[in-house]
Amino acid sequence: MTRLFRGQIIFALGLAILNTIYASQLVQMDPPFATGEPGPAFLPVILCGFVYLASITIIIREFRAAEAEAKPDPQSDIVPRISLLGPAVTIGATALFIVAFSYFGYLVAAACFTFIVAWFFTYEQSGKHLRSTGFAFVTAAVVTLFGWLFFVKLFGLYLPVWEL
Amino acid sequence: MIGQLSDGFLALAQPLTFLHLVGGFLLGLFFGAIPGLTATLAIALLLPFTFGMDVADALVMVAGIYMAGIYSGSITGITLNIPGAPSGAITTLDGHALMKRGEGTQALGMSALASGIGGLVGVIILIALAQPVSALALQFQTPDKFSLVLLAVVTVTIVASGPLIKAMMAMALGLMISTVGIDPMVPVGRFDFGSYHLVEGISLLPAVIGLFAVCELIAQSSIPAAVGKAVAVAATERPRRRDFLPSRAKIREVGFFTFLKSAIIGVLIGMLPGGGASMASFIAYAEAKRGSRKPEAFGKGSYEGLAASESANNAMCGGAVIPLLTMGIPGDAVTAIIFGVLLIHGLVPGPALLAGNFHVIAPMFAALFVASIFVFLSVLAFGPLYLRLSQINRGFLYAFIAMISMVGVYASSYSFFQMWMALAIGVLAFLLRRFGYPVVPTLMGIILGPYLEEFLRRSLIVSEGDPTIFLRSPASVVLLALTVLFVWLLRVRPALRVGAQAAKL
Repeated sequence: MTRLFRGQIIFALGLAILNTIYASQLVQMDPPFATGEPGPAFLPVILCGFVYLASITIIIREFRAAEAEAKPDPQSDIVPRISLLGPAVTIGATALFIVAFSYFGYLVAAACFTFIVAWFFTYEQSGKHLRSTGFAFVTAAVVTLFGWLFFVKLFGLYLPVWEL
Repeated sequence: MIGQLSDGFLALAQPLTFLHLVGGFLLGLFFGAIPGLTATLAIALLLPFTFGMDVADALVMVAGIYMAGIYSGSITGITLNIPGAPSGAITTLDGHALMKRGEGTQALGMSALASGIGGLVGVIILIALAQPVSALALQFQTPDKFSLVLLAVVTVTIVASGPLIKAMMAMALGLMISTVGIDPMVPVGRFDFGSYHLVEGISLLPAVIGLFAVCELIAQSSIPAAVGKAVAVAATERPRRRDFLPSRAKIREVGFFTFLKSAIIGVLIGMLPGGGASMASFIAYAEAKRGSRKPEAFGKGSYEGLAASESANNAMCGGAVIPLLTMGIPGDAVTAIIFGVLLIHGLVPGPALLAGNFHVIAPMFAALFVASIFVFLSVLAFGPLYLRLSQINRGFLYAFIAMISMVGVYASSYSFFQMWMALAIGVLAFLLRRFGYPVVPTLMGIILGPYLEEFLRRSLIVSEGDPTIFLRSPASVVLLALTVLFVWLLRVRPALRVGAQAAKL
């Protein structure tokens, strides 16, 4: 069983599980034609049924199809297992940004977020710690300042600054 | 009317009014090109500032933003594979493929030319046929509207690349996301899991940012710079401005008929409430593929596909204004905000508007016309800058996109929850892409879902559950027949041909 083949099946199963979570809300709603007319549950019931069928079809097709040769993930000379580590860094940084934004405000959160993102991409490209750190500092300062000028000064929008 | 229209063009000769047009155009260009920011957001942000403006100047500025914002959605779609606006999503398929082939200048030039032509055709039709055609659109009943949305949903799904079942799954996911929140017909919350945040539903902006900007950020971080797309296209030679002029061969390859047909499709869809730039570009793209001599090139770098979608989405601008001004029905989010601009200045959109205030509206028509010409000129002025978007240091570029997208979500809703939604949808979109599911049908499901559901349920309520209501109206029958025709031509016939060829071997 190749990694791609296994991944396809796990992802289709994951979608079926998400669908089950969605469907769990349907039982709290009135049946689609409870009042004699198509109600709020009408389209969701159809969609739920379809997603189960589609998930099963995809899984069966994956089992029936000859196992495709998985293309190896592109490797970076600098960042090991980049196909996993890269998404983990960007997803983690974005999640941290949202948390920091609500507690520390725009300036701190945006500066840290842009620093992490800029550092990761630059380091992966150059492989040089010091150069990447310097570039990320400058990028974080420029982008954070731009965002502040653009959203707050130009359009007068409110961005939290320091809410502690 | 012609005299007042001439006055409208003359009004643009006033330095202050002209500056409003240029300012609006540049603002729209910027907002449209930056992923996560849209022309809708630009006009929404402009709304409070229009209080202090002359009504004609405000409308001129809005027209500039509208035309430029719809066009520039394709710029980063072509150069970075991240459409700046949903309307640029379909252009991205062929535009970025051309970019990777080293034909970025011609792709950007063709995009601007097609958008300019589409915009001009849209405005000419707006000026010439506003009242009679909008009267026809008014005849559309709910079942006809359902059939129209169904046509869009089916078309988007079948033109998506990859296995059909995965495209259908992606569309279903988008439709499911659209069902979260208050029911469109009954004041009941759905799929809110007891959270008051989810009762409001998932806004379009976080969905767009998640599906495109966040997803692209995550996807790019999983690829080494050595094979990353941004680097792969960076090898393009330093372009000259004249390189952005589409060559005669490329224009001939597209053909005058494709430009015109796509523009007319764009205008017609723009006129219908619930239509919009995305739907216009998808349907024009599908129609161009159906009629093309090289349908196999679509999605792999076809100038015909690129021109069809761009021509249609800018032609939509003219079309969308028709029902707004003549019937008071906004066709999309932008025209809904233009509705607000008019109301702020004491003008009520509707049949009486053009009769009594044409002199106020005429500069807006003129501005849409001139902005269409600006669209083409802009690529000659800023083309090298657009192309350099792909040569910017990846660290700087993705830090910028990450910040402006996420803060843009917050600024549009002042909601941390919507930021989490953008991230969650981005992760889902990344996984969909990774396992070969197209993402564009998901977006269209989110956009079209509320219309599909409302028109379907309304029709069935009227017919007391009888589905033959969709076969009783000539317009609905024509739209359903077109749906079946598209499925046959784009999916069934090619599959039968492949099967027949396999049997011969």
